[in-house]
Amino acid sequence: MSAIDTQRDPLFVHPALFYGSDEEYLAGLVPFVTDGLELGHPVAVAVPGKRLDLLRDALGDAARDVTMLDMAEEGRNPGRIIPRVLRRFADARQDRHVRIIGEPIWAGRSGVEYPACAQHEALINAAFTGRDVTILCPYDTSALDAAAIEDARQTHPVLWEGDRRYDSEHYAPDRVVARYNAPLPVADEDAFTVERPADVSAARRFAVRRARELGLAGARLADLELIAGELVTNSLLHTSGPCRLGVWAEDGHLVCEVRDGGRLTDPLAGRRPPRAGGTSGIGLLLVNDLADLVRLHTAADGTTVRALLRL
Amino acid sequence: MQHTRDLGRHDHVCWSYDDRADIGLHVAEFLLDGLERGQRVRYVGYGNAEALTEAVLAVDGIGAALTDGAAEVTSLDAVGPGGAVIDARGQVRSYAAATDQALAAGYRGFRVATEATSLVRGPEQLTAFLHYEHLVDQYMAGHPFTALCAYDRTRLSEQVLEQLASVHPSTNLPGAGFRLHASARPGHSAQLSGEIDMFNRDVLVQVLDRVRPPAHGGRLVLDAADLTFIDHRGLIGLDAYARSRDTTLVLRTAFPGAARIADLLDLPGVRVEPVA
Repeated sequence: MSAIDTQRDPLFVHPALFYGSDEEYLAGLVPFVTDGLELGHPVAVAVPGKRLDLLRDALGDAARDVTMLDMAEEGRNPGRIIPRVLRRFADARQDRHVRIIGEPIWAGRSGVEYPACAQHEALINAAFTGRDVTILCPYDTSALDAAAIEDARQTHPVLWEGDRRYDSEHYAPDRVVARYNAPLPVADEDAFTVERPADVSAARRFAVRRARELGLAGARLADLELIAGELVTNSLLHTSGPCRLGVWAEDGHLVCEVRDGGRLTDPLAGRRPPRAGGTSGIGLLLVNDLADLVRLHTAADGTTVRALLRL
Repeated sequence: MQHTRDLGRHDHVCWSYDDRADIGLHVAEFLLDGLERGQRVRYVGYGNAEALTEAVLAVDGIGAALTDGAAEVTSLDAVGPGGAVIDARGQVRSYAAATDQALAAGYRGFRVATEATSLVRGPEQLTAFLHYEHLVDQYMAGHPFTALCAYDRTRLSEQVLEQLASVHPSTNLPGAGFRLHASARPGHSAQLSGEIDMFNRDVLVQVLDRVRPPAHGGRLVLDAADLTFIDHRGLIGLDAYARSRDTTLVLRTAFPGAARIADLLDLPGVRVEPVA
């Protein structure tokens, strides 16, 4: 465990709340919201739809003062939760302490989604370093498997269970990022090789043609074309060699993969909101915006990015 | 584009060549095609009139037309070997008058092939010429005037060729991947078609900056119904351009991705309006 890994931020508070029932859920979250409102803190709640209804009912009139977001929609792709849910709310209210409830991990998350969810939870710590913000993350111990709860102990410096509030002995977010940075096996598909700028337009057309054959239609085809263009352009800009673009269908998703020989060294790439007038770092952010899920593997010998779109 | 025959009535062609011997043939084909359509034709180029005439005589039929006045050859030498900065509006007026004269003389239109390399060699010349191309394109959209501009690839940079190619509706250059030319639809500043991404958005901004399409209602309205792709770098380029000109750029496009990106990014200078 590295020193930085375990250092507690003096301002940023990032607890996990373990709950096993609706009662425990409300007992932990309702006071967090109402206490915050009493203190004049802006409060946002981003949890999956049914949980949102439960909380709204319990909050009664107070719910009107809270920004309520359906995490199953806003955070379907966990890669966009930091820029588009958490920082969008917190950055607009930098003059005060901000409270956010964020529940990105629930039992319905698939095995393909989960690694990206766990990495997202770990990266919140880096994204909010030094920020006067509290982000409380509820975990359903009755439905999630033991590994997910164990990961939560590593991605959250503080844990809440019932009335107990304690520092996590296992806090090591970088380990979680590294553990889920797992190789994505080469798919046995025809790939399109991009070597130079002149290939990019043809690469986009290749992606669109494959996607159409696989059943993607309408505006989603435009999303896919943008994603393919951003990923191959990024590879050309940031690596010295060619990249390979593949498009196939898998488990109800269209997968758009770009594989290159570079290494992505910035773990928060694609997770920063756009800056006014800024032009850098927007490509991966847009891929996070447009895709239903983004999986990434990066190592010394290359990087693979997969953007998934529901079919 | 492989040849210069059978182009449409309103065609405005950019033809680049790297072999001077070759250009005579293409120019002659273009002019002969005009003659077959009952148009009066003119070849404008550098060198003395005899050499220019020699250059277009390679195709049967030109000679007779030169004799009876249906075809003519004009030398740009009078302008000076360094090439002048074109007077965009004056040149369009002059071609409009020649078109009227041709119609009055019983021809069905007027067609010009120009060896224009020397008119685009300096930045100031290029700016004036691109502006002229846009104005003449607008004129062509409503009148029986057609033109071919020939450029010597070996004497111009790739960047200049890309800009030239992008303002002509037809070209034999691999080009910039997009076209910006006059829109036939009222209420539009210009028509933008093709694809815009990080590899050509700078050319687009340079061309916009040189062409300066006219505003409509204080806004730059681009008829982009045939724009098939634009990425965030293209839209950010258009946004920066519009703000630098203190205007709003309205992009009317059928590519649904443009509105998606505009919704996701803060682009105060650009408004995307979807069209069918």
